[in-house]
Amino acid sequence: MKTNGLVAVRTWDLPVRIFHWLLVALFAAQLYSGKTGGNAMTWHLYGGYAVLTLVLFRVLWGFVGGSHARFADFVAGPAAATRFAKQLFSPAPAHFVGHNPLGGWMVLAFLASFAVQAGTGLFANDDIATEGPLAALISKEVSDRLTSVHKWNLKLLLGLVALHFAAVLYHRFAKKEDLIRAMFTGVKHVPEPVAAARGGVRHASLWVAVILFAAAGAVVFLIVKRPF
Amino acid sequence: MNIKRSFTLAAVAVSLAAGIAADAAAQAKPEDLVKQRRAAMTLMAKYIGPVGAMVQGKIPYDAAIVARNTGFVDTLDKMPWDGFQPSTRDVKDTHAKPEIYGDAEKFKSRWEHLQSEVAKLAAAAKGGDQNAVKAAFGGVGKACKACHDDFRRE
Repeated sequence: MKTNGLVAVRTWDLPVRIFHWLLVALFAAQLYSGKTGGNAMTWHLYGGYAVLTLVLFRVLWGFVGGSHARFADFVAGPAAATRFAKQLFSPAPAHFVGHNPLGGWMVLAFLASFAVQAGTGLFANDDIATEGPLAALISKEVSDRLTSVHKWNLKLLLGLVALHFAAVLYHRFAKKEDLIRAMFTGVKHVPEPVAAARGGVRHASLWVAVILFAAAGAVVFLIVKRPF
Repeated sequence: MNIKRSFTLAAVAVSLAAGIAADAAAQAKPEDLVKQRRAAMTLMAKYIGPVGAMVQGKIPYDAAIVARNTGFVDTLDKMPWDGFQPSTRDVKDTHAKPEIYGDAEKFKSRWEHLQSEVAKLAAAAKGGDQNAVKAAFGGVGKACKACHDDFRRE
């Protein structure tokens, strides 16, 4: 399929897209329950386990997922990132089939920050009636400190979200690349040479994704419930 | 003694009594005030803690303990607030933000809100309806949080 010399490439596999939008929904729900407090904190804890599961799954998927889900595909060196950054303010689209170099770094920053957020939440306490499932294992002082990290890292996360919004809108309106639609449909439109240079996009089996997701959920369950 | 004079005397007595109550806290050593208000809040945490664990299903629900503990908290929650005197502003060992003394009205509205939520919880606990207790407990948690968000630093 061609439009204006662009070819459609199935870029984001289904697990990547589901991961992305579930994380968006969960983050919004976590913001709400965390700010509301009271009995909503019970849901805040469940939401945290879900975030941890998603992050764990995404890290695993970064090694065995489809071509553009893999870290090896999108984690660029500083040289590539600098080259990309230099053309950022020219109006011409700079098409990448997968993540562009700065976008790849953004993914890592998000994963790290969400991991810190969910991880510290396990040990945090709100000095009211709620504490993470592992808070009992550590001293109150350490739990308080991790609670502070939980609060500061939230500001970092919100900053990353703002940056992510700005970047996506910039690409949409200044560079005419619709990255938002691509994250829904999985399809990116790129110039034929770009697509050809990338070769075929390999998609991993959905069953592998389901199994990895279940495994990630099981690991989180074991961490939270500590049945041993 | 004429009526007008006794009115005046009564007014003086009332204002003296009110003044003594306020002065008693204002004249205590700031370090002691901080210790005392923290002690009151520590006890509130001690007695509300198991109630939280019960409504969250972490430990078995015991209506008698819920009624007793929420009753305790319904009294304890009257105690910390006169310890927040401006004289304690410079005490190191506290999580109290100085904004407490800058916006005393707002601070007062926060702890009055807590008191009314705790009163509801204690009443629900006496009633014995577990769902009502759970809902009221959520209100107390929110009241704690509303004040902590504004007036408690890390």
